[in-house]
Amino acid sequence: MNVDELVRDALREQAGEQTAAGPGFADRVLALHRRRRTRRLATVAAATAAVVAVAVAVPLLDSGKSDTRPSGVTEQHGIHPHPTQSPPRDLISAGETALAAYYIPKTVKQSPKQAVSQRTYWLLDPKTGKYVKDTRWSYVAVAPGMKAAAVLERTLPAARIGLLDLATGKVARWILVDHGVAGLAFSRDGKKLVATTYGKNPDLRVKMQGSKSWDSEQTSSRTGFYVFDVTTGKGSWSEVKLGGDPNNPMGGGFLNARQDFAFSHDGRHVWAGNPMGDIGKQFYEPSGAEISVPANEKYVDWFVDAYKSPSGRLVAGDFAGKKWETSSYVIDAVTGAKTEVHGQQLLAWVGEKSLIAWDIIPGSNEFHQQLVLVTIGSNKEVPLSGLRMGNDGDAGRWEPVFAEY
Amino acid sequence: MNAEGLESFREFVDSRSSALLKTAVLLSGGDQHAGEDLLQNALVKAAGKWQRIDEPEAYVRRILYRQQVSRWRLKWRRREVSVAEPPEAGPRSAHSGDSAAAAELRVVMREALARLTARQRTVLILRYFEDLPEADVARLLGCSVGTVRSTTHRSLARLRILAPELAVLGPADAEQQPSRDYSPVEVRP
Repeated sequence: MNVDELVRDALREQAGEQTAAGPGFADRVLALHRRRRTRRLATVAAATAAVVAVAVAVPLLDSGKSDTRPSGVTEQHGIHPHPTQSPPRDLISAGETALAAYYIPKTVKQSPKQAVSQRTYWLLDPKTGKYVKDTRWSYVAVAPGMKAAAVLERTLPAARIGLLDLATGKVARWILVDHGVAGLAFSRDGKKLVATTYGKNPDLRVKMQGSKSWDSEQTSSRTGFYVFDVTTGKGSWSEVKLGGDPNNPMGGGFLNARQDFAFSHDGRHVWAGNPMGDIGKQFYEPSGAEISVPANEKYVDWFVDAYKSPSGRLVAGDFAGKKWETSSYVIDAVTGAKTEVHGQQLLAWVGEKSLIAWDIIPGSNEFHQQLVLVTIGSNKEVPLSGLRMGNDGDAGRWEPVFAEY
Repeated sequence: MNAEGLESFREFVDSRSSALLKTAVLLSGGDQHAGEDLLQNALVKAAGKWQRIDEPEAYVRRILYRQQVSRWRLKWRRREVSVAEPPEAGPRSAHSGDSAAAAELRVVMREALARLTARQRTVLILRYFEDLPEADVARLLGCSVGTVRSTTHRSLARLRILAPELAVLGPADAEQQPSRDYSPVEVRP
């Protein structure tokens, strides 16, 4: 006899001895099922309570314009360039705008047909003024004031949002969510957080038939957004249905796989780009009702990161390239009047007159950019970082995250 | 669940719970109460989506196996049964043709099985009690075939350590295969 045969015999003998579960077993199970369902409903209520607790516990946002600032920027709001550093090691800032973090995306193959584009973040350590790698997060939104950040853990969509205290590197509070979140953005005053919800990870990459490269999925799984009022602690979710014909294989594919929501400049509305739509963007009430595009948002392009100047009067626009080899438009938000400013891609405003942009050295590779400070009406360009090498999509190309402090 | 669903659920439990309980108790290392708990949990989960389940028995069994492995994995409510004495032996009449030595070995084996980890025991039950091929076990537990193979190999080796009396037995096929994959069992929820 072999050992496996004895295992088999012993198990069969043992199985033969058991008694039945007894009468009423089905009803016991059903009663237990009802009890657990009630408890699950209670858990939802607890999650709401957790949201309420957020406001109390996080030393957030606009409370601290005057106190703890990242070292090196406490004294003056001048320019802190590091034109030899790429990726940056030490704090880069101009005026009240700082490079709060950066990330490096990497496409990680999961199967022959599927991959995921994962971000690895480097966050500014306010004590040392250096960028420190933090592999815990798949998404980071730094709050204005640069004392806190909203973070998502590695698996997207995430079931909770962390509010990270940047001074300690610890999560001060978790917000539990019922709808998986994959994108985050603060309002300009830092009092509100919008979280974009998705049915599946929007950073998945697939191989299209006949293609050798990884592409975003063609269909969007976006489901809606949460708006959390960090001050009062209330949060609610709004469903945003995907447009388009459900019978069309492109389905809701009028959107990019990742098409996150953000707050409008005045914080009153939530909006997102709609690349294939007639107008290119959609605006919503925080309650989820879609509205027509407000007049002062007419000239806004969703793919220009800098968005509006602090006063809201100017809009950072698309690549222009007329006046100089690389230049971009700055548009009057009301009249639509355009001027050109240096810079290949406008990333963040520094006051009303300057912007941080990507730019190249004229005549060189269009993908080898550095962060520069450009000013409206000025020919001067101040390099802020070293050159980003490689071509678009290559590994190791870092992407900046700016915040005002 | 509507009235129709309730009726079919009760019918299923009444007709299949004895068979399912056998497996649940084996998975629990012979502990009748732990087995009832395990089955009860699996049935509660099934009740939650009863009218959407096509093959109730297969579904419940899958929950049983995975739940047991997850318990091990999460170190949650881990109930390893340490038996100083062999569990009560069952009626011998069914094995009247057996030699006393064979009956003795089965008792030793049961004791040893009860002392395996839940994961090791689950794999052996699926392979040798349910007689499932390695690929099916892997699918049920949500792990690789290599993991099933290596776990089987190590579980049999562990049995031999726990019960030196088993030295009289020949090696199982699984023991002759090299154990290649030492990764832990991955369980997909």
